[in-house]
Amino acid sequence: MSEREEKMTMASNADQFKQSFREEAREILVDLEAALLELNNHGGDAELVGRVFRGLHTIKGSGAMFGFEDLAEFTHNLETAFDEVRNGRLEINPELIDLTLAALDQIRAMLDEGAGGASLADEAACVEILAKVRRMTGKANHGTGRRTGGDKAAAPASSAPASGPLREWTIRFAPGADLLLNGANPLLLLRELRQLGGLSVKASMAAVPPLGELDPERCYVAWEMALVTEASRDAIRDVFIFVEDHCELSIEPVPDAALQRASNPASAFAPAASVDRTARALEDPRSQSGGRRTYDKPDNASSLRVPAAKLDQFVDLVGELVTVQARLSELAARRDDSEIAEVSEEIERLTSSLRENSMNIRMLPIRATFEKFRRLVHDLARDLGKDVVLTIEGADTELDKTVIDQLSDPLMHLIRNSVDHGIEPPEVRAARQKRPTATIHLSARHSGASVLIAVSDDGGGIDAEAVRLRAVERGLVVADAQISEQETYALLFQPGFSTARQVTDVSGRGVGLDVVRQRVDSLRGAIDVTSKPGEGTSVTLRLPLTLAIIDGLLVSVGNACFVLPLANTLECIELTREDVERANNKHVVNVRGVVVPYIRLREHFNISTPRPEIEQIMLVETEGGRYGFVVDRVLGNCQTVIKNLGRFYRHVQVVSGATILGNGTVALILDPERLAADAVRLATPGRRPNRAAHPGAGAGQEGKKEGSCRNVV
Amino acid sequence: MPVTLEENDALSRIRLEGAIEIDCAAELKALLVQALSSGKETRIAIEAATHLDVTAIQLLWAAKREAARSGARFALSPPAPEGIAAALREAGFEIEMLKGA
Repeated sequence: MSEREEKMTMASNADQFKQSFREEAREILVDLEAALLELNNHGGDAELVGRVFRGLHTIKGSGAMFGFEDLAEFTHNLETAFDEVRNGRLEINPELIDLTLAALDQIRAMLDEGAGGASLADEAACVEILAKVRRMTGKANHGTGRRTGGDKAAAPASSAPASGPLREWTIRFAPGADLLLNGANPLLLLRELRQLGGLSVKASMAAVPPLGELDPERCYVAWEMALVTEASRDAIRDVFIFVEDHCELSIEPVPDAALQRASNPASAFAPAASVDRTARALEDPRSQSGGRRTYDKPDNASSLRVPAAKLDQFVDLVGELVTVQARLSELAARRDDSEIAEVSEEIERLTSSLRENSMNIRMLPIRATFEKFRRLVHDLARDLGKDVVLTIEGADTELDKTVIDQLSDPLMHLIRNSVDHGIEPPEVRAARQKRPTATIHLSARHSGASVLIAVSDDGGGIDAEAVRLRAVERGLVVADAQISEQETYALLFQPGFSTARQVTDVSGRGVGLDVVRQRVDSLRGAIDVTSKPGEGTSVTLRLPLTLAIIDGLLVSVGNACFVLPLANTLECIELTREDVERANNKHVVNVRGVVVPYIRLREHFNISTPRPEIEQIMLVETEGGRYGFVVDRVLGNCQTVIKNLGRFYRHVQVVSGATILGNGTVALILDPERLAADAVRLATPGRRPNRAAHPGAGAGQEGKKEGSCRNVV
Repeated sequence: MPVTLEENDALSRIRLEGAIEIDCAAELKALLVQALSSGKETRIAIEAATHLDVTAIQLLWAAKREAARSGARFALSPPAPEGIAAALREAGFEIEMLKGA
């Protein structure tokens, strides 16, 4: 490797480490925000104060280590404030919470470097926040004056993060091979530790190999330290949080020395016998192993971070593989060759488990998305003078990363709407004898191949009559139209529709719920609204678990092929002409004593080829009950790579996408929920069939060859 | 260049200047190996250095041990500035461990 290449590799390693700091710091910020909001509800809970302090302390120390010096300096002032709180010199109050929340926003902006590495933080806002914090703590700004590149020490802490009695700890720290290459500096960690209390340090050179064999960019030195501090083990470990995966670390209390040392902390600086003893113990195995350390073992990381783009690429490739595998299966089926058939089946099995595994990797708990709304509710409630708490249920429910990524916006609009329009002002709640603190409940749960995400409030409920009148005013419905409750609520999701007479900063422009509908549509989801006057409203989003590949059942009607999601499918039964006659040509069938209505796809999609003597009914479970879909033939299971139909077909509700079959033709993927609802709607007297919702019309199914469907993908 | 080697008939002098950190570690190693293999006395001129990181410390330590093993003369000349010595002590190193063999 040339010198230039080596330098480039080093720079990219350092960037990677910085990036890793950014990601971890963002996670800490989320935790900090949650702790602050909890603190707001639970007053001066010491544990929460400690959590906030530790979070700030970690961001500060590690920020300085990775070159985010402005960030470290800014955070240090906040840390000082929480040190005062911890020591009982400052009380937690809403102003401090809001100030700290605003400061976290600035820290987040400092992490998001703009073009040319410039910070995106608002400098004026930072100055104002610091001035207020200083006024509150009565302390001058710490760490003013920028440190130069030669002195990359962390900003000095006001005091150690005390959380217990003074005691002595033995810390053994052996950096991993790649620690230095990743831009970390172990010497700065030692300085950081020194801020926690009295520290004596001994460096061990036992693992340094002969000069000729020494890799100049690798760290061979290990450290043995004695630390006398009031800080907890967690607080000590936090110093190492960003290098923990790249080092060997042990933090052990020294059993009986605590009290002795407490009375004479200076003795910690004397070369302690215990340190020498443990230093020797540390040295021995290293010298025996010729300088190799145990962190060289390949299994030292239990989890790893992978850029989302790489994962997307991986899943795309799996999708392509599934499509090619379908072609292979098709080919094997056509040739009467047992060997090819055997290989094809083996590949099918492998592809199937590869697909399941790759889909599992993409599944993430929705917790992070939910948690960030605590802040939104807090800020909105404060701005609107309301008292609102957010409760969360089912935060561990997992769904596809792509779905999660697109959920933030719709949920934000629903929550804004709830706080602004749903929750009544305090005086109205008082008059209605409701609890002064209103609740917004955010929940997630699985239901078949879907996930249900609900935003519920205990507010005033939707005034259906006001919605109807507004719709009449806007010409959306005729004055004497009889519309159902669900249809009334659906009007709320029309573009520009709002019953609010006054537009506020929060909502009332009629844009938010339209965004919700569009986003849910693009995710092939559905919205369900329930509301009780005076009691509250609940909006449930039904979303598919995944947007990439599903297990499907391939069926045919005439020349057309369709895929039904396997998760909805219960069983398959035969439908003979006699069965039809027995039911007087009504679209119902008796399944073991239960009458089940069915929808004949041939009729629904106007497919004109003749009906076979024996048809097949696929029984599916929907929210509206059990339905049968009548098809000509069931062709078998198929792993279905979902392709979007494109925006021309966005109004075709009963089809959730298309897939390419092994023979290169296209099959439409049916949405059983919507298909059943559409059939019920069409069967309701007085309704005209909605041609726009006709997949056959758009996909060339009416007697045309399947190949003509290709242009829809 | 923060790391340079000057040689005459009797002496190899490696001069360290400014911050001696990981980005010049490979170069420092190469110069140390070259100096020690010449069989001449090796002197490390450290007075113009402002900072040594772990890579520099472990290289100098390994060079000193190498010199001791082969019986070559090795020395910090003149002794490290107090700033560097203090920083080394703070990090648990003894400046003596880098001094001459």
